[in-house]
Amino acid sequence: MTSGELTPREERQLRECYAALHELAATCSVPSVRTAARAAVAEVHVALDGQALDFEMYTHRWLAEG
Amino acid sequence: MTADQPFWNPRTETMPREQLRAWQWTKLRRAMAQARGSKFWADRIPEDITSFEDYVRRVPLVTKKDLVAAEEIAPPFGLLPSIDPSAAVRFHQTSGTSGNTPLRTFDTARDWAWAVDQWCTILHGVGVRPGQRAILAFGYGMFIGFWGMQDALMRMGCAVLPSGSMDSATRVRLLVDYQIEVIGCTPTYALRLLETAADMGIDLAADGNLKTVITGAEPRPPATVRAIERGFGAKVFDVAGMTELATVFTFECPGGPGISHIIEPAAIEEVLHPETREPVGYGERGVRVMTGLGREGWQIFRYWTEDIVIKRPWHECPCGRTWDWYEGGIIGRADDMRKIRGISVTPVMVEDVVRGFTEVREFQTVLRADRGLDVMVLRVEPTDPASARPELGERIAAEIKRTIGLLPMVELVEPGVLPRFEAKAVRFHDER
Ligand SMILES: [Zn+2]
Repeated sequence: MTSGELTPREERQLRECYAALHELAATCSVPSVRTAARAAVAEVHVALDGQALDFEMYTHRWLAEG
Repeated sequence: MTADQPFWNPRTETMPREQLRAWQWTKLRRAMAQARGSKFWADRIPEDITSFEDYVRRVPLVTKKDLVAAEEIAPPFGLLPSIDPSAAVRFHQTSGTSGNTPLRTFDTARDWAWAVDQWCTILHGVGVRPGQRAILAFGYGMFIGFWGMQDALMRMGCAVLPSGSMDSATRVRLLVDYQIEVIGCTPTYALRLLETAADMGIDLAADGNLKTVITGAEPRPPATVRAIERGFGAKVFDVAGMTELATVFTFECPGGPGISHIIEPAAIEEVLHPETREPVGYGERGVRVMTGLGREGWQIFRYWTEDIVIKRPWHECPCGRTWDWYEGGIIGRADDMRKIRGISVTPVMVEDVVRGFTEVREFQTVLRADRGLDVMVLRVEPTDPASARPELGERIAAEIKRTIGLLPMVELVEPGVLPRFEAKAVRFHDER
């Protein structure tokens, strides 16, 4: 619990939920769901960055989509 | 009950140095690729940077003046943005004063989440935990101040009582009534609260419940820290941040007083000689040059900050972090900027105001520590003492308050009392 490392399962879950949220954030046509997904993408991105797993600059992709 | 994990991100806080360096390089490469979207940065950063050494060799240093000029071309952000500022969710700017154009920045939702997480790194690191109550004594304005700390506390599950427009007595009451455990403020203001509490007959160390005091925005001598710790009965931790980075970049480690760790995954921090601009080694005084590794919209590369620092190697702190640190945090400025109660003041700013009064012949600015509080005293020689009215002092004080944001004490003195200068005048005396 205090090792400070993610288990392989936790790391996989984190990556999978980030990918799923990204997809919803980019394509979902329901404003509330899209907005929730975009907020969550920012949060999960911070977790990935903090674990040195991923670092992305992604917001420009959504600009044309509103 | 599980044992407490002292690090917010154990992985990146304790990473072996070579891995940390590689992770920084990955982030820097992505940041540089993103910066192709900025007219300003695309002109300054070659497309084919191959290593960190190459980056330092080929990317020029940038100053605040350069950034302000790039924004002035088409305010508010000019040539700087790497992506359309319509993606922003918040704007901030530095305290622009007379003759000093503010630097304006923006954050996307992604950027702000990142900025807030750096604050979480600090708050968790100094022992703040979910369920605690906090207040932040600052203006909640365009100045970035403690905004990131506000959101970080909420994100961590702490309660924040917004005390933006309250006076000191009301804040003292809040501290006691709500048994607040965490406060963020300038060191000067912490002393002001203690003075106010004493006037109210309240002993905050006994009647309050503060555990953690986060101070920032101005230097704080050890005597001040001791006074704050004694008065509040709490631990004081210094942090430093900047609008240009969106967030905080150093924090005082529980591993030892004066050990200000650099959040290295968030920023690349070089220390260069003030004149030669060559790198200086550990333990040597130099100017902090910062590259931000967080924001996607308003980026910054090799920024000559004017902050004077002394870097020490990570292993000299016993906490276990592999992050290098600054001895005593930011220890001064390469230029002549002075901070008074968190507000930046230069001799030119004061002169600019005072010289607007034709009734003034000569003046002198003295910065003093009066019972631990920073005060600015302006000694003024009227042109014609016979006709000078006492309200002259009040008008000058009001104008300085309006343009600089700080209310000085103005003393009218007899003709010939103040020194005159042949060449470069020294009208600014820092006696703190
Ligand atoms: Zn440490």
